[in-house]
Amino acid sequence: MSIQPYTEDQADALQEVANIAMGQAGDSLARILDNFVTLSVPRIRQIEVKELADTVTAMVGEEDVSAVRQAFYNALRGEAIVIFTQSGADELAELLGYDCELDAAIEQELLLEVGNLLVGAILNGISDTLGTELGFSAPSLMAEHTPLRQVLAPDRLTWEQALLVEVNFSVEKHRFKSHLLMFMTEETIETLRHILDDFMDGL
Amino acid sequence: MPDTDAPKLLDFIVDRTHAGIFVVNRDMEIVLWNQFMEVHSGRKAQQLLGKNLFDEFPELPRKWLARKVENVFILKNFSFTSWEQRPYLFKFPHNRPVTGGVDCMRQDCTLMPVKNAAGEVEYVCFTLFDVTDTSIYQQKLKALTQELREVGNRDGLTQLFNRRYIEESLGKEFNRARRYGQPLTVILTDIDHFKQVNDTHGHLAGDEVLRIIARRLQDSLRDTDILGRYGGEEFLIVLPNTGTSGGKVLAERLRHAIESEPVSFGDTSLSVTISLGITELRKDSHDYEQLIGEADQALYQAKEGGRNRAIVFRPDDPAS
Repeated sequence: MSIQPYTEDQADALQEVANIAMGQAGDSLARILDNFVTLSVPRIRQIEVKELADTVTAMVGEEDVSAVRQAFYNALRGEAIVIFTQSGADELAELLGYDCELDAAIEQELLLEVGNLLVGAILNGISDTLGTELGFSAPSLMAEHTPLRQVLAPDRLTWEQALLVEVNFSVEKHRFKSHLLMFMTEETIETLRHILDDFMDGL
Repeated sequence: MPDTDAPKLLDFIVDRTHAGIFVVNRDMEIVLWNQFMEVHSGRKAQQLLGKNLFDEFPELPRKWLARKVENVFILKNFSFTSWEQRPYLFKFPHNRPVTGGVDCMRQDCTLMPVKNAAGEVEYVCFTLFDVTDTSIYQQKLKALTQELREVGNRDGLTQLFNRRYIEESLGKEFNRARRYGQPLTVILTDIDHFKQVNDTHGHLAGDEVLRIIARRLQDSLRDTDILGRYGGEEFLIVLPNTGTSGGKVLAERLRHAIESEPVSFGDTSLSVTISLGITELRKDSHDYEQLIGEADQALYQAKEGGRNRAIVFRPDDPAS
Protein backbone atom coordinates (compact mmCIF):
# COMPACT_ATOMS: atom_id res chain seq x y z
CA MET A 1 0.00 0.00 0.00
CA SER A 2 1.49 3.26 -0.98
CA ILE A 3 0.45 6.41 0.72
CA GLN A 4 -0.18 9.82 -0.71
CA PRO A 5 2.08 12.33 0.96
CA TYR A 6 0.28 14.93 3.01
CA THR A 7 -0.63 18.08 1.16
CA GLU A 8 1.22 21.22 2.09
CA ASP A 9 -1.79 22.39 4.13
CA GLN A 10 -2.03 19.10 5.96
CA ALA A 11 1.67 19.10 6.69
CA ASP A 12 1.46 22.69 7.96
CA ALA A 13 -1.46 21.78 10.20
CA LEU A 14 0.40 18.79 11.58
CA GLN A 15 3.44 20.91 12.25
CA GLU A 16 1.25 23.45 14.05
CA VAL A 17 -0.43 20.74 16.16
CA ALA A 18 2.95 19.28 17.03
CA ASN A 19 4.31 22.70 17.99
CA ILE A 20 1.40 23.34 20.36
CA ALA A 21 1.77 19.85 21.82
CA MET A 22 5.46 20.37 22.36
CA GLY A 23 4.84 23.58 24.24
CA GLN A 24 2.44 21.82 26.60
CA ALA A 25 4.72 18.83 26.96
CA GLY A 26 7.67 21.06 27.79
CA ASP A 27 5.67 22.81 30.51
CA SER A 28 4.48 19.56 32.09
CA LEU A 29 7.89 17.97 31.97
CA ALA A 30 9.46 21.07 33.47
CA ARG A 31 6.98 20.89 36.36
CA ILE A 32 7.75 17.24 36.92
CA LEU A 33 11.49 17.59 36.74
CA ASP A 34 11.56 20.98 38.42
CA ASN A 35 14.08 22.02 35.81
CA PHE A 36 14.09 23.91 32.59
CA VAL A 37 13.34 21.50 29.80
CA THR A 38 14.19 22.04 26.16
CA LEU A 39 12.07 20.35 23.54
CA SER A 40 13.11 21.11 20.01
CA VAL A 41 10.64 22.19 17.38
CA PRO A 42 9.46 18.87 16.03
CA ARG A 43 10.58 17.89 12.56
CA ILE A 44 7.99 15.84 10.77
CA ARG A 45 8.36 13.81 7.65
CA GLN A 46 6.94 10.81 5.91
CA ILE A 47 9.57 8.26 5.31
CA GLU A 48 10.15 4.80 3.89
CA VAL A 49 11.28 2.40 6.58
CA LYS A 50 14.25 1.29 4.48
CA GLU A 51 15.63 4.85 4.61
CA LEU A 52 15.01 5.07 8.33
CA ALA A 53 18.39 3.96 9.65
CA ASP A 54 20.22 6.41 7.39
CA THR A 55 17.90 9.29 8.22
CA VAL A 56 18.02 8.75 11.96
CA THR A 57 21.75 8.18 11.95
CA ALA A 58 22.11 11.52 10.23
CA MET A 59 20.21 13.11 13.14
CA VAL A 60 21.62 11.17 16.05
CA GLY A 61 25.09 10.20 14.87
CA GLU A 62 26.85 6.83 14.75
CA GLU A 63 26.93 5.75 18.32
CA ASP A 64 25.61 3.14 20.64
CA VAL A 65 22.15 3.95 21.90
CA SER A 66 19.52 2.64 24.23
CA ALA A 67 15.94 2.58 23.03
CA VAL A 68 12.50 2.30 24.57
CA ARG A 69 9.40 1.48 22.55
CA GLN A 70 5.80 2.06 23.52
CA ALA A 71 2.58 1.40 21.68
CA PHE A 72 -0.29 3.86 21.48
CA TYR A 73 -3.78 3.05 20.34
CA ASN A 74 -7.25 4.37 19.91
CA ALA A 75 -7.88 7.04 17.27
CA LEU A 76 -4.21 6.87 16.28
CA ARG A 77 -2.35 3.61 16.31
CA GLY A 78 1.37 3.07 16.23
CA GLU A 79 4.54 2.87 18.21
CA ALA A 80 6.84 5.50 19.55
CA ILE A 81 10.53 4.86 19.93
CA VAL A 82 12.64 6.99 22.21
CA ILE A 83 16.35 6.85 21.51
CA PHE A 84 18.71 7.77 24.31
CA THR A 85 22.22 8.73 23.38
CA GLN A 86 23.52 10.08 26.65
CA SER A 87 21.65 8.72 29.56
CA GLY A 88 23.04 10.80 32.42
CA ALA A 89 21.06 8.26 34.41
CA ASP A 90 22.40 9.19 37.82
CA GLU A 91 21.23 12.78 37.55
CA LEU A 92 17.83 11.85 36.16
CA ALA A 93 17.38 9.38 38.97
CA GLU A 94 17.65 12.20 41.45
CA LEU A 95 15.16 14.33 39.53
CA LEU A 96 12.66 11.48 39.56
CA GLY A 97 12.76 10.72 43.25
CA TYR A 98 15.12 7.78 43.39
CA ASP A 99 17.20 7.80 46.52
CA CYS A 100 19.00 4.50 46.19
CA GLU A 101 22.14 3.27 44.47
CA LEU A 102 21.81 2.93 40.72
CA ASP A 103 22.02 -0.62 39.47
CA ALA A 104 21.26 -2.07 36.04
CA ALA A 105 17.58 -2.62 36.84
CA ILE A 106 17.10 0.94 38.08
CA GLU A 107 18.83 2.35 35.02
CA GLN A 108 16.44 0.36 32.87
CA GLU A 109 13.50 1.53 34.91
CA LEU A 110 14.66 5.11 34.46
CA LEU A 111 14.85 4.73 30.70
CA LEU A 112 11.34 3.28 30.70
CA GLU A 113 10.10 6.02 33.00
CA VAL A 114 11.56 8.85 30.95
CA GLY A 115 10.47 7.16 27.72
CA ASN A 116 6.92 6.92 29.05
CA LEU A 117 6.95 10.54 30.23
CA LEU A 118 8.14 11.82 26.87
CA VAL A 119 5.85 9.70 24.76
CA GLY A 120 2.86 10.47 26.96
CA ALA A 121 3.52 14.20 27.16
CA ILE A 122 4.01 14.60 23.45
CA LEU A 123 1.32 12.24 22.16
CA ASN A 124 -1.28 13.40 24.65
CA GLY A 125 -0.44 16.93 23.58
CA ILE A 126 -1.12 16.02 19.97
CA SER A 127 -4.29 14.07 20.69
CA ASP A 128 -5.64 16.80 23.02
CA THR A 129 -5.13 19.41 20.36
CA LEU A 130 -6.88 17.20 17.84
CA GLY A 131 -9.70 16.40 20.26
CA THR A 132 -9.02 12.67 20.47
CA GLU A 133 -7.84 10.43 23.27
CA LEU A 134 -5.08 7.82 23.28
CA GLY A 135 -4.32 4.71 25.27
CA PHE A 136 -0.83 3.46 25.94
CA SER A 137 0.69 0.07 26.50
CA ALA A 138 3.51 -0.46 28.96
CA PRO A 139 6.84 0.66 27.52
CA SER A 140 9.53 -1.93 26.94
CA LEU A 141 13.25 -1.83 26.35
CA MET A 142 14.18 -2.34 22.73
CA ALA A 143 17.93 -2.11 23.06
CA GLU A 144 20.65 -1.15 25.47
CA HIS A 145 24.00 0.20 24.32
CA THR A 146 23.45 -1.12 20.81
CA PRO A 147 24.60 0.41 17.52
CA LEU A 148 21.77 2.58 16.20
CA ARG A 149 21.77 0.85 12.82
CA GLN A 150 21.09 -2.44 14.48
CA VAL A 151 18.17 -1.01 16.46
CA LEU A 152 16.53 0.38 13.34
CA ALA A 153 17.44 -2.41 10.93
CA PRO A 154 14.56 -2.73 8.42
CA ASP A 155 14.14 -6.44 9.15
CA ARG A 156 13.26 -5.55 12.73
CA LEU A 157 10.51 -3.18 11.67
CA THR A 158 7.44 -4.46 9.89
CA TRP A 159 6.11 -1.25 8.40
CA GLU A 160 7.06 0.14 5.06
CA GLN A 161 6.04 3.69 5.76
CA ALA A 162 6.37 5.74 8.85
CA LEU A 163 5.60 9.20 9.95
CA LEU A 164 8.77 10.32 11.59
CA VAL A 165 8.40 12.97 14.24
CA GLU A 166 11.76 13.97 15.52
CA VAL A 167 11.91 15.75 18.84
CA ASN A 168 15.06 16.40 20.78
CA PHE A 169 14.71 16.59 24.52
CA SER A 170 17.23 17.90 26.97
CA VAL A 171 17.12 18.97 30.58
CA GLU A 172 18.88 22.12 31.69
CA LYS A 173 22.38 21.58 33.03
CA HIS A 174 22.06 17.82 32.84
CA ARG A 175 23.87 15.50 30.54
CA PHE A 176 20.81 14.05 29.00
CA LYS A 177 19.63 13.86 25.45
CA SER A 178 17.04 11.86 23.62
CA HIS A 179 15.16 11.67 20.36
CA LEU A 180 11.60 10.60 19.83
CA LEU A 181 10.47 8.79 16.70
CA MET A 182 6.84 8.10 16.08
CA PHE A 183 5.73 5.38 13.74
CA MET A 184 2.15 5.14 12.65
CA THR A 185 0.49 2.43 10.69
CA GLU A 186 -0.45 3.29 7.15
CA GLU A 187 -4.07 3.23 8.19
CA THR A 188 -3.35 5.78 10.90
CA ILE A 189 -1.50 8.06 8.53
CA GLU A 190 -4.77 8.18 6.55
CA THR A 191 -6.90 8.65 9.68
CA LEU A 192 -4.65 11.48 10.74
CA ARG A 193 -5.09 13.07 7.34
CA HIS A 194 -8.85 13.27 7.92
CA ILE A 195 -8.43 14.51 11.48
CA LEU A 196 -6.09 17.22 10.20
CA ASP A 197 -8.61 18.24 7.54
CA ASP A 198 -11.31 18.54 10.23
CA PHE A 199 -8.90 20.43 12.45
CA MET A 200 -8.21 22.98 9.71
CA ASP A 201 -11.94 23.35 9.01
CA GLY A 202 -12.49 24.06 12.70
CA LEU A 203 -9.89 26.83 12.86
CA MET B 1 -29.64 -8.04 29.41
CA PRO B 2 -31.35 -4.81 30.52
CA ASP B 3 -29.12 -1.75 30.47
CA THR B 4 -29.69 -1.06 34.15
CA ASP B 5 -27.65 -4.11 35.13
CA ALA B 6 -24.49 -2.81 33.50
CA PRO B 7 -23.21 -0.62 36.39
CA LYS B 8 -23.79 -3.45 38.89
CA LEU B 9 -22.01 -5.79 36.56
CA LEU B 10 -19.07 -3.44 36.27
CA ASP B 11 -18.83 -3.15 40.06
CA PHE B 12 -18.89 -6.90 40.37
CA ILE B 13 -16.21 -7.42 37.73
CA VAL B 14 -13.90 -4.74 39.11
CA ASP B 15 -14.20 -6.34 42.52
CA ARG B 16 -13.74 -9.96 41.47
CA THR B 17 -11.43 -9.83 38.49
CA HIS B 18 -8.11 -11.64 38.77
CA ALA B 19 -6.07 -8.51 39.01
CA GLY B 20 -5.49 -6.07 41.81
CA ILE B 21 -7.39 -2.82 41.34
CA PHE B 22 -7.20 0.10 43.73
CA VAL B 23 -7.67 3.83 43.45
CA VAL B 24 -6.12 6.76 45.31
CA ASN B 25 -6.93 10.45 45.34
CA ARG B 26 -4.46 13.31 45.25
CA ASP B 27 -3.82 12.99 49.00
CA MET B 28 -2.93 9.34 48.46
CA GLU B 29 -6.10 8.26 50.27
CA ILE B 30 -7.49 4.92 49.21
CA VAL B 31 -10.93 5.22 47.59
CA LEU B 32 -11.26 1.74 46.09
CA TRP B 33 -9.67 -1.61 47.02
CA ASN B 34 -10.88 -4.71 45.21
CA GLN B 35 -11.11 -8.30 46.36
CA PHE B 36 -7.79 -9.36 44.82
CA MET B 37 -6.08 -6.64 46.90
CA GLU B 38 -8.03 -7.71 50.00
CA VAL B 39 -7.13 -11.37 49.62
CA HIS B 40 -3.44 -10.84 48.96
CA SER B 41 -2.81 -8.02 51.41
CA GLY B 42 -5.00 -9.49 54.12
CA ARG B 43 -6.54 -6.02 54.59
CA LYS B 44 -10.26 -5.40 54.06
CA ALA B 45 -11.48 -2.48 51.98
CA GLN B 46 -13.58 -1.15 54.86
CA GLN B 47 -10.46 -0.83 57.03
CA LEU B 48 -8.59 0.99 54.32
CA LEU B 49 -11.00 3.33 52.56
CA GLY B 50 -10.20 6.95 53.36
CA LYS B 51 -6.80 6.01 54.82
CA ASN B 52 -3.47 7.15 53.43
CA LEU B 53 -1.84 4.43 51.33
CA PHE B 54 1.63 5.07 52.73
CA ASP B 55 0.44 5.11 56.36
CA GLU B 56 -1.22 1.75 55.89
CA PHE B 57 1.61 0.22 53.85
CA PRO B 58 4.80 1.82 55.17
CA GLU B 59 6.91 -0.76 53.34
CA LEU B 60 6.04 0.83 49.97
CA PRO B 61 8.87 2.84 48.35
CA ARG B 62 7.25 6.12 49.31
CA LYS B 63 9.41 8.78 47.73
CA TRP B 64 9.53 7.10 44.35
CA LEU B 65 5.88 6.04 44.26
CA ALA B 66 4.52 9.39 45.47
CA ARG B 67 6.51 11.04 42.69
CA LYS B 68 5.15 8.62 40.15
CA VAL B 69 1.56 9.19 41.19
CA GLU B 70 2.07 12.94 41.21
CA ASN B 71 3.37 12.71 37.64
CA VAL B 72 0.16 10.99 36.57
CA PHE B 73 -1.84 13.87 38.06
CA ILE B 74 0.31 16.47 36.34
CA LEU B 75 0.81 14.83 32.97
CA LYS B 76 -2.63 13.18 32.83
CA ASN B 77 -0.76 10.23 31.49
CA PHE B 78 -0.51 6.51 32.11
CA SER B 79 2.47 5.24 34.03
CA PHE B 80 3.82 1.71 34.41
CA THR B 81 6.06 -0.53 36.44
CA SER B 82 7.43 -3.85 35.24
CA TRP B 83 8.54 -6.86 37.28
CA GLU B 84 11.69 -7.05 35.20
CA GLN B 85 13.07 -3.91 36.81
CA ARG B 86 10.98 -3.79 39.99
CA PRO B 87 9.84 -7.28 40.92
CA TYR B 88 6.87 -6.14 43.01
CA LEU B 89 5.06 -3.16 44.47
CA PHE B 90 3.35 -5.04 47.31
CA LYS B 91 5.06 -8.03 48.84
CA PHE B 92 2.30 -10.59 48.27
CA PRO B 93 2.58 -14.37 48.47
CA HIS B 94 2.18 -16.08 45.09
CA ASN B 95 0.36 -19.13 43.85
CA ARG B 96 3.42 -21.27 43.24
CA PRO B 97 4.69 -21.90 46.76
CA VAL B 98 5.99 -25.32 45.71
CA THR B 99 7.26 -25.05 42.14
CA GLY B 100 7.94 -21.34 41.91
CA GLY B 101 11.46 -20.72 43.08
CA VAL B 102 10.66 -17.03 43.64
CA ASP B 103 9.98 -15.47 47.02
CA CYS B 104 6.85 -13.47 46.31
CA MET B 105 4.38 -12.47 43.62
CA ARG B 106 5.93 -10.73 40.61
CA GLN B 107 3.83 -7.78 39.53
CA ASP B 108 3.29 -5.55 36.54
CA CYS B 109 1.48 -2.38 37.39
CA THR B 110 -0.40 0.25 35.42
CA LEU B 111 -1.25 3.67 36.84
CA MET B 112 -4.18 5.16 34.98
CA PRO B 113 -5.39 8.74 35.26
CA VAL B 114 -9.10 9.00 36.09
CA LYS B 115 -10.42 12.32 34.85
CA ASN B 116 -13.50 14.24 35.94
CA ALA B 117 -15.89 16.03 33.61
CA ALA B 118 -13.59 19.06 33.50
CA GLY B 119 -10.76 16.88 32.20
CA GLU B 120 -8.74 17.18 35.42
CA VAL B 121 -7.25 14.05 36.93
CA GLU B 122 -9.17 13.29 40.11
CA TYR B 123 -7.90 9.82 40.91
CA VAL B 124 -5.16 7.44 39.95
CA CYS B 125 -6.26 3.88 39.38
CA PHE B 126 -3.70 1.12 39.92
CA THR B 127 -4.05 -2.18 38.13
CA LEU B 128 -1.75 -4.83 39.45
CA PHE B 129 -1.18 -8.01 37.48
CA ASP B 130 0.25 -11.21 38.88
CA VAL B 131 3.00 -12.11 36.39
CA THR B 132 4.76 -14.68 38.56
CA ASP B 133 4.32 -17.45 35.99
CA THR B 134 5.59 -15.30 33.15
CA SER B 135 8.58 -14.25 35.21
CA ILE B 136 9.48 -17.85 36.01
CA TYR B 137 9.33 -18.86 32.34
CA GLN B 138 11.30 -15.84 31.32
CA GLN B 139 13.98 -16.49 33.91
CA LYS B 140 14.29 -20.09 32.73
CA LEU B 141 14.56 -18.89 29.16
CA LYS B 142 17.17 -16.33 30.11
CA ALA B 143 19.25 -18.88 32.01
CA LEU B 144 19.08 -21.26 29.06
CA THR B 145 20.00 -18.58 26.53
CA GLN B 146 22.91 -17.54 28.71
CA GLU B 147 24.05 -21.14 28.99
CA LEU B 148 23.85 -21.65 25.23
CA ARG B 149 25.76 -18.47 24.63
CA GLU B 150 28.43 -19.55 27.11
CA VAL B 151 28.77 -22.94 25.45
CA GLY B 152 28.97 -21.27 22.05
CA ASN B 153 31.77 -19.01 23.22
CA ARG B 154 33.92 -21.68 24.84
CA ASP B 155 36.59 -24.01 23.58
CA GLY B 156 35.53 -27.54 24.48
CA LEU B 157 38.98 -28.79 25.53
CA THR B 158 40.35 -25.95 27.64
CA GLN B 159 37.06 -24.21 28.55
CA LEU B 160 38.74 -20.94 27.58
CA PHE B 161 36.97 -18.61 25.14
CA ASN B 162 37.17 -19.89 21.59
CA ARG B 163 38.73 -18.16 18.63
CA ARG B 164 35.52 -16.61 17.37
CA TYR B 165 34.73 -15.08 20.74
CA ILE B 166 38.23 -13.82 21.51
CA GLU B 167 38.44 -12.18 18.07
CA GLU B 168 35.05 -10.59 18.61
CA SER B 169 36.17 -9.29 22.01
CA LEU B 170 39.38 -7.95 20.55
CA GLY B 171 37.36 -6.20 17.84
CA LYS B 172 35.18 -4.51 20.46
CA GLU B 173 38.13 -3.56 22.66
CA PHE B 174 39.96 -2.23 19.61
CA ASN B 175 37.05 0.10 18.77
CA ARG B 176 36.58 1.16 22.36
CA ALA B 177 40.27 1.87 22.95
CA ARG B 178 40.50 3.88 19.75
CA ARG B 179 37.37 5.88 20.50
CA TYR B 180 38.44 6.81 24.03
CA GLY B 181 42.16 7.03 23.31
CA GLN B 182 42.98 4.29 25.78
CA PRO B 183 45.90 1.88 25.49
CA LEU B 184 45.33 -1.72 24.41
CA THR B 185 47.83 -4.55 24.31
CA VAL B 186 47.61 -7.95 22.66
CA ILE B 187 49.72 -10.99 23.49
CA LEU B 188 49.94 -14.07 21.32
CA THR B 189 51.57 -17.03 23.02
CA ASP B 190 52.49 -20.51 21.88
CA ILE B 191 53.67 -23.58 23.79
CA ASP B 192 57.30 -24.41 22.89
CA HIS B 193 57.97 -27.77 21.24
CA PHE B 194 54.39 -28.83 21.72
CA LYS B 195 54.60 -31.22 18.77
CA GLN B 196 57.18 -33.23 20.67
CA VAL B 197 54.83 -33.63 23.63
CA ASN B 198 52.22 -35.07 21.32
CA ASP B 199 54.73 -37.27 19.48
CA THR B 200 56.40 -38.60 22.62
CA HIS B 201 53.52 -38.90 25.06
CA GLY B 202 50.49 -39.12 22.81
CA HIS B 203 47.60 -36.80 22.07
CA LEU B 204 45.82 -37.42 25.36
CA ALA B 205 48.89 -36.18 27.19
CA GLY B 206 49.03 -33.24 24.81
CA ASP B 207 45.41 -32.40 25.63
CA GLU B 208 46.17 -32.57 29.33
CA VAL B 209 49.14 -30.20 28.91
CA LEU B 210 46.88 -27.78 27.03
CA ARG B 211 44.32 -27.87 29.83
CA ILE B 212 46.92 -27.30 32.55
CA ILE B 213 48.63 -24.45 30.68
CA ALA B 214 45.25 -22.86 29.95
CA ARG B 215 44.37 -22.91 33.63
CA ARG B 216 47.72 -21.49 34.68
CA LEU B 217 47.49 -18.68 32.16
CA GLN B 218 43.98 -17.89 33.31
CA ASP B 219 45.02 -17.87 36.97
CA SER B 220 47.86 -15.44 36.25
CA LEU B 221 45.67 -12.83 34.55
CA ARG B 222 43.70 -9.93 35.93
CA ASP B 223 39.89 -9.87 35.87
CA THR B 224 39.76 -7.45 32.96
CA ASP B 225 42.13 -9.44 30.72
CA ILE B 226 40.53 -11.71 28.14
CA LEU B 227 42.14 -15.04 27.31
CA GLY B 228 41.15 -17.39 24.52
CA ARG B 229 42.44 -20.42 22.67
CA TYR B 230 43.45 -19.06 19.29
CA GLY B 231 44.69 -22.17 17.54
CA GLY B 232 46.08 -25.63 18.38
CA GLU B 233 48.58 -24.61 21.05
CA GLU B 234 48.25 -20.86 20.58
CA PHE B 235 46.53 -18.53 23.00
CA LEU B 236 45.50 -14.92 22.48
CA ILE B 237 45.29 -12.49 25.38
CA VAL B 238 43.64 -9.09 25.17
CA LEU B 239 44.71 -6.55 27.78
CA PRO B 240 42.38 -3.55 27.83
CA ASN B 241 43.70 -0.31 29.29
CA THR B 242 47.26 -1.63 29.24
CA GLY B 243 50.30 -0.46 27.29
CA THR B 244 53.28 -2.56 26.22
CA SER B 245 55.23 -1.92 29.41
CA GLY B 246 52.38 -3.37 31.47
CA GLY B 247 51.94 -6.02 28.80
CA LYS B 248 55.60 -6.99 29.04
CA VAL B 249 55.37 -7.35 32.84
CA LEU B 250 52.29 -9.53 32.48
CA ALA B 251 53.89 -11.61 29.72
CA GLU B 252 56.90 -12.26 31.97
CA ARG B 253 54.56 -13.28 34.74
CA LEU B 254 52.85 -15.75 32.41
CA ARG B 255 56.14 -17.08 31.10
CA HIS B 256 57.34 -17.62 34.66
CA ALA B 257 54.06 -19.26 35.74
CA ILE B 258 54.57 -21.91 33.07
CA GLU B 259 58.32 -22.36 33.38
CA SER B 260 58.54 -22.43 37.18
CA GLU B 261 56.58 -25.59 37.73
CA PRO B 262 56.66 -28.74 35.61
CA VAL B 263 53.39 -29.99 34.16
CA SER B 264 52.36 -33.32 35.67
CA PHE B 265 49.97 -35.85 34.24
CA GLY B 266 49.81 -39.51 35.25
CA ASP B 267 53.32 -40.48 36.32
CA THR B 268 54.93 -38.04 33.96
CA SER B 269 56.33 -34.68 34.84
CA LEU B 270 57.29 -32.41 31.99
CA SER B 271 59.05 -29.07 31.83
CA VAL B 272 57.09 -26.80 29.53
CA THR B 273 57.83 -23.28 28.37
CA ILE B 274 56.00 -20.73 26.28
CA SER B 275 57.04 -17.98 23.89
CA LEU B 276 55.12 -14.73 23.69
CA GLY B 277 54.69 -11.92 21.17
CA ILE B 278 53.40 -8.56 22.39
CA THR B 279 52.06 -5.56 20.54
CA GLU B 280 49.96 -2.51 21.33
CA LEU B 281 47.44 -0.29 19.64
CA ARG B 282 49.08 2.68 17.89
CA LYS B 283 47.63 5.66 16.07
CA ASP B 284 48.34 3.99 12.73
CA SER B 285 46.76 0.64 13.63
CA HIS B 286 44.16 -0.11 10.95
CA ASP B 287 42.23 -2.93 12.50
CA TYR B 288 42.46 -5.61 15.14
CA GLU B 289 43.70 -8.16 12.61
CA GLN B 290 46.82 -6.02 12.23
CA LEU B 291 47.48 -6.33 15.97
CA ILE B 292 47.22 -10.10 15.79
CA GLY B 293 49.62 -10.06 12.81
CA GLU B 294 52.13 -7.96 14.75
CA ALA B 295 51.88 -10.13 17.86
CA ASP B 296 52.46 -13.12 15.58
CA GLN B 297 55.62 -11.51 14.13
CA ALA B 298 56.94 -10.80 17.63
CA LEU B 299 56.09 -14.36 18.63
CA TYR B 300 58.07 -15.61 15.63
CA GLN B 301 61.07 -13.56 16.80
CA ALA B 302 60.72 -15.02 20.29
CA LYS B 303 60.84 -18.49 18.79
CA GLU B 304 63.82 -17.59 16.57
CA GLY B 305 65.60 -16.05 19.53
CA GLY B 306 65.59 -19.33 21.43
CA ARG B 307 62.04 -19.66 22.83
CA ASN B 308 60.88 -19.24 26.45
CA ARG B 309 60.86 -15.48 26.09
CA ALA B 310 58.56 -12.52 25.46
CA ILE B 311 59.27 -10.09 22.62
CA VAL B 312 57.61 -6.74 22.01
CA PHE B 313 56.80 -5.90 18.39
CA ARG B 314 58.73 -2.86 17.06
CA PRO B 315 57.02 -1.17 14.14
CA ASP B 316 60.21 0.42 12.74
CA ASP B 317 62.41 -2.60 13.34
CA PRO B 318 63.79 -3.55 9.91
CA ALA B 319 63.86 -7.19 11.02
CA SER B 320 60.11 -7.28 11.48
